[in-house]
Amino acid sequence: MKVSELVERTALKTFNEGTDKEIKGIYISDMVSDIIGIKEGHLLITLQTHKNLIAAANLVDVAAIVFSRDKIPADDVVALANKAGIKLLGFDGDTWSLAKKLCELGIW
Amino acid sequence: MKKSVCNHKWTMTNLRGGYLVIEGCFHCRHRISFFSQEPVPPIDDYQEGEHFWSHLADYQASQFDLRCEKCSTEVPLKEVMALMLCVRCNPKCGAYAAGAKEPNRQTWVYVALCSDTSHTTNKCIPSKSLKALNEYLNNGIADSAKKIAVVPCSLRKFVDTCQGIVLADVGLTELY
Repeated sequence: MKVSELVERTALKTFNEGTDKEIKGIYISDMVSDIIGIKEGHLLITLQTHKNLIAAANLVDVAAIVFSRDKIPADDVVALANKAGIKLLGFDGDTWSLAKKLCELGIW
Repeated sequence: MKKSVCNHKWTMTNLRGGYLVIEGCFHCRHRISFFSQEPVPPIDDYQEGEHFWSHLADYQASQFDLRCEKCSTEVPLKEVMALMLCVRCNPKCGAYAAGAKEPNRQTWVYVALCSDTSHTTNKCIPSKSLKALNEYLNNGIADSAKKIAVVPCSLRKFVDTCQGIVLADVGLTELY
């Protein structure tokens, strides 16, 4: 599934344009030191809106990042994501609710 | 397959969590860093020859090695303390220059940080490690215009004014 289709089907908020990539898997983490180990094309779900996260997400070429619990990234974070072509999305519920929703959609 | 002719396909192996620990010598003002896998990172001061090392900071981080899926060659990356995204803050810096080599591609420079932060020994990350890291991180990038360039931290112009983003859990609890 493409990121644009996910946004349509789950009504996620979008914070920027980003590149419409194919989602190859899901990864949930709030630690930069952990994200470094994921494979390319994963949808990253996190609470963390720090700039460091974008630097790590770009390195591992994520499909997009979803900030759960209604977290809003700062302007400099969005600017770095734009430069990297990483789509930033928002979900107002908790991470578990989003994970269940994604499972129901068959994305894992 | 013969290791010497293998077109390596690297995969991450031996992923280990720990702490990036930075120490400074108040005597000569040099800095060093190391990766600690102890449950609590060491913070004690100690003397080593003419140096008096004191704990400056520690951040949760991870280290890994690379292994070729085809020929099983392993490249240990124990010399790499962390990777740091260059934010192109100084046009006179070697990391900045590394990002400007291919104007037709969007090159993201990641600086591989070695343990000798002040580079007093003239040793940095081995070229074999850098080559494998570059091959690994560029393999599978969907966008052909995007390139990851991993360079040694010896290219960095000034450690004190560098604004790079270290890929460790640095500042994650800051207000954002």
